Amino acid sequence: MYLVANIDTEICAATSCKLCTQYCPEANTILYDNEAGQDKGFKYGAAYVAVDRCKGCAQCVWVCDNMAKHNAIKMEMIDQIGDTALTENVTYGEKTSHALLANPVRGQG
Amino acid sequence: MSLEYVKFTPGFGKFMPKEYRDMVEHGPFGKKVSVSQVGTFKEILEEHPMCAGCAMTLFIRLAIVAFPNPEDTITVGTAGCGRLAISQAAIPFVYGNYGDQNGVASGLTRGLRLRFGDRPKDVVVMAGDGGMADIGFAQTLHSWFRKEKFTTIMLDNEVYGNTGGQESGMTNRNQVLKMAPLGKKFEKMDMLGMAKVAGCAYVATVVPNNPRRVESVIKKAVLVAREIGPSYIQAYTSCNIEYAIPTDKVMEDAKTVETDRYKFSEYITDEAKEYLSQLYGYKEYLPKPAAAVEKQ
Ligand SMILES: Cc1ncc(C[n+]2csc(CCOP(=O)(O)OP(=O)(O)O)c2C)c(N)n1
Ligand code: SF4
Repeated sequence: MYLVANIDTEICAATSCKLCTQYCPEANTILYDNEAGQDKGFKYGAAYVAVDRCKGCAQCVWVCDNMAKHNAIKMEMIDQIGDTALTENVTYGEKTSHALLANPVRGQG
Repeated sequence: MSLEYVKFTPGFGKFMPKEYRDMVEHGPFGKKVSVSQVGTFKEILEEHPMCAGCAMTLFIRLAIVAFPNPEDTITVGTAGCGRLAISQAAIPFVYGNYGDQNGVASGLTRGLRLRFGDRPKDVVVMAGDGGMADIGFAQTLHSWFRKEKFTTIMLDNEVYGNTGGQESGMTNRNQVLKMAPLGKKFEKMDMLGMAKVAGCAYVATVVPNNPRRVESVIKKAVLVAREIGPSYIQAYTSCNIEYAIPTDKVMEDAKTVETDRYKFSEYITDEAKEYLSQLYGYKEYLPKPAAAVEKQ
């Protein structure tokens, strides 16, 4: 098993800084959902990780902890992470994206 | 080489992989996108085998997002790590022999101008420091002296990364590497100085720990190369493998190196300034009002 990045939606949606999206070395990996966190009263959305593309470098963790100082990202074992975003479940909209969550090891449902 | 090539052949869309459909339907082709919007559109760069956490990968990703007209752009590369990613993007990629990149790009640029005339096609070379300052040195300099109108980007990781750590002309003096166990005996080459002497119209240094700045210099370099003359960007893109930088410290290293010896610098000729301000609305290059000039 291996580590992938996991973003805490609530901590992220509280500031919506989008820094990690710009610093991830991989394309199409840290994505952004403008509506994430709306059910909890947050307005500007949150970042999330398509874990099948994450190479586990943890650069986003450094950026979130040290540049943004939000501590919203942790590295977690892929089989411990629970339901999360995968490329196959991502849909793009008008200036946003959204993922249906699925188990990265077992697949959908 | 136009918006046509990123459309589906009628009836075939449903057979294409999801990533391809996303790119056609939600990619940046024909739109204006910026680095601050990444994560909300499908990027042109796909998965590739470059190392986890490599700063060169981040730079390439940002550069491709920043291309002003990706649908009218061709990239040229050569042996070295960067081509492993640049070739995995939905932009035509030309791969020459090691070091040939600026020669290939010269012919390509001229050919495209003959073929497409007034419709600009952007040619962007991205190659390593070894490919550009050592093996391809003559071709690089000659293309600048000939004022070939394309952009040259050096992915400067200060080592031959792809072949396991030999020193390059761009390695710093005294640096010990796996294949340079006694340390390099000579100074890092001044490619920036040479680019200016050889007549580049735009020359910049940049480090990818500032994504918006990467975006800004790429846009300017590509636009200047369309009309005015050659442009050169030298980007510090550390090799975390050969320099043993833990991947979660790659941006910390980038910040330290930027403050220490890779400061942002930009050189731009008056002609290029005038062109960018007149045609593309770059206000910072508008001539200063007489009063402001007197005060200086
Ligand atoms: C003519 C020729 N000589 C040698 C090689 C072997 N080779 C492949 S990549 C490389 C070094 C690449 O170093 P650099 O250009 O600095 O790029 P990096 O991998 O560091 O990004 C070499 C020597 C080759 N492919 N062709
Ligand atoms: S060897 Fe170095 S430059 Fe090449 S992909 Fe790996 S970290 Fe990047």
